[in-house]
Formats: sequence, structure tokens, C-alpha cells
Amino acid sequence: MLLREQLKTIIIGSTNRKSTEEEDMTTIILIAGALGFLVWSLIKDKKKTKEAFRITKGLFLKTVVQIIGVLSLISLFLALVPPEMIKNVMGSANEQMSIFWGSLIGTITIIPAFVAFPLSKSLLDAGAALTAIAAFLTTLTMVGFATFPIEREYFGTKFTIYRNLFSFFAAIFIALIMGVIL
Amino acid sequence: MINFLKKNKIIVIAVVAYLITLIVSPDIFIKALQQNGSFLLEMLEVLPPVLVISSLITVWVPNEVIIKTFGKTSGIKGKLLSLLIGAFSAGPIYAGFPVTKTLFDKGASVGNVVIILSAWAVVKVPMYLVETSFLGSTFANTRYLLTIPFIILLGYVMQRLVKKEDVPVSEIEAEVEKIYEQLPKVNCGACGYNGCHEFAQAVVKGEVQMEGCKVLVSKK
Repeated sequence: MLLREQLKTIIIGSTNRKSTEEEDMTTIILIAGALGFLVWSLIKDKKKTKEAFRITKGLFLKTVVQIIGVLSLISLFLALVPPEMIKNVMGSANEQMSIFWGSLIGTITIIPAFVAFPLSKSLLDAGAALTAIAAFLTTLTMVGFATFPIEREYFGTKFTIYRNLFSFFAAIFIALIMGVIL
Repeated sequence: MINFLKKNKIIVIAVVAYLITLIVSPDIFIKALQQNGSFLLEMLEVLPPVLVISSLITVWVPNEVIIKTFGKTSGIKGKLLSLLIGAFSAGPIYAGFPVTKTLFDKGASVGNVVIILSAWAVVKVPMYLVETSFLGSTFANTRYLLTIPFIILLGYVMQRLVKKEDVPVSEIEAEVEKIYEQLPKVNCGACGYNGCHEFAQAVVKGEVQMEGCKVLVSKK
């Protein structure tokens, strides 16, 4: 645990990760689950486990280069478009425009939760429209312009286009309803 | 060379973009690198265990089980279970693709795959806690309550629109098909499996050798 934190501190340069303790917990459960399954498999059947390893290797090689590429591009985008800039466009007085920008930024990027939620909070405090923030948060995670190539590799073009398109409209719709309710 | 570029398009674009940034603005370059570091760390934590679980499912869980739990006829129970899997998953949505594809290859319906993926992205227990603490429980509750019905609806719509044939065949399945082609396809069951297709799957899994096919051996 300590090592992990230190590693993160070195790489990210800060320990501003308090909000993700819960997230870390699920990751640990995931890793433990995978290890448990693996040990069980090894005891039960070595041959099958070997086969599973072969498949794991194939899946990893198939995806990893692409994921690194996608993540690098998103990082660059986030460095070019800092939170302050997002704050400016989403905090504009025109509600329609801020919904538009919110969903657009959410669609293009993946922003980690520990950046997205504090950012949303400061947006809200700065007077941004609630609907815009809801649109931003929902598209952020569900619609993946950036992960499009990875998704397409697994599920094909038709599936990927439809899922992202519908999710996008669903996100806007959810945001609009929230604007009415809250 | 051209083939390499084509296959690794994204990473090549990324490298070029970073080089340009380095020349134009070293500050932004370093910021991007730091951000990238945290992203990659997250990926290295989440992706390997997810892939190991996917592969173990491929090898251990029989198709019938997946079809029964997540197939077209799994009904409301399948949908709820899909939601739960997504909600208790870890990591960003790209980690969900290999797992859901594995389930899909084993007979899960398009609708349920979409539900798992969407829930994986939006309906997360840890994220909910973070959202509540930052934006208040009214905001978080409303967003979640609205999103869940939409995800189920999305599953229905996708099930209607996307056919199984629209999704590319995975390498493992392609291997199974290749072996199946070499079999007599008489489904005699002498090998101990229910038909030639199951036998082909068993060969790919390493459970049995080609010689296990009695018809093939007798022909030689």
C-alpha cells in the first residue's frame, strides 16, 4: 500500500488523492479476486491455466499499445486544456451553451474521477448550470470518443457508433430532466 | 513499415504530438507526461487482473452458464445481474471491453453487454460516494436514479439494432472455427463431447488433442 502511494506521489507529483480511497478499495478487491481465481485454477488444472495465460497475453498485446496511445493523447489534451479553461467555457451565462460545452468536453476526454468531481464542485460554486455539470459527468464516463478505436476493435464499428451516439443523447436527456427536477 | 504505422496509428500520432509539444512548450509537455503517468499507473493496476479474469472465464465457465445468465432469454434477472457486475467493477470503461467481449463470445446478449458496459462507466459504487461528498446526495441520487432506467432502455434499443454478426469474431473463436472445419462434423459424440463444435472448443482450451476425434482417427 505504502509503495503504491509513493509511486503515485513520484509519478503524479502530488498526493491529492484523498477522494479516491473508495476507488482504490475496488481495485484491490479486483486484484485479489483475480489472484484467487488464478490460484484456484492452478490447483485445479495446470493445462487450462496455461491456456488462460496464453489468452491473457494475447488480449494484453492486442490492447495495450492502443490504450497507451489513447491515454497519452488524452493527457496531452488535458495539459493543453487545463481545468481553468473548462471552467471558463462551462461557467458561461448561457445555459444551452454550457450544456453543449459540458457534454462536448465530457465526450472527448476521460477525466479521472478525482479531477472531475472537485472540478464540478468548483464549477457549481462559480455559478455554472447544474444541467451542464450533469451532462459533463455523464458523457465523461459513458461516451468515449477517445476510447472509440479500442471499443471498435472489440465490438465492431456499428456497435460502437450506436452505443456512443445513444449514450450521448441519453446523457443530454438526463441532464435536461435534472435541470427541471432540481 | 507502412503496415506498422497503420497498425499503431494512435501511438504514432501520440509520439508526434508529444514531440511537437516538447518543442513548442516544454511546460505543457511535462504536465502531459505527469498526467499520462497517473493514467498509465491506473491502467497497469486494473488491466492485468481484468484480463486474467476474462481469460479464466473463457477457459472455465461453460457457454451454457453464460447463455443462461446473460443470454437473450435471461430476462430481468440477467439485466439486474449485468447492472450489478458493472456497478462493482473497477477501472475505466476500456477495462470493461475485454470482459464483456468474453461474455459476448460465450453467448451473452448484445443488450446485456451494453448494460454491463454502461454501468461499468456510470453506475459505480465508489464513484457514487465521491460524487455525494462533492456535489451532495440530492444531485448524485437524482443522476443515478435517472441513469439506471436509461441504461436498461439502451440495452433494449441496442439489442434491436445490433446483430451478433455485426460484432467481429475474436481470435479464440476464429481458432475454434478453424479446428471445426477439419472435423467430420457428424456430431457422433464418440469423443465424449456434445458434438463437433464443443470438441473444437475443447481442443482450443487444451483439454483434448485432435486424436480424440474417433472418426478422424479411424479415417487415417
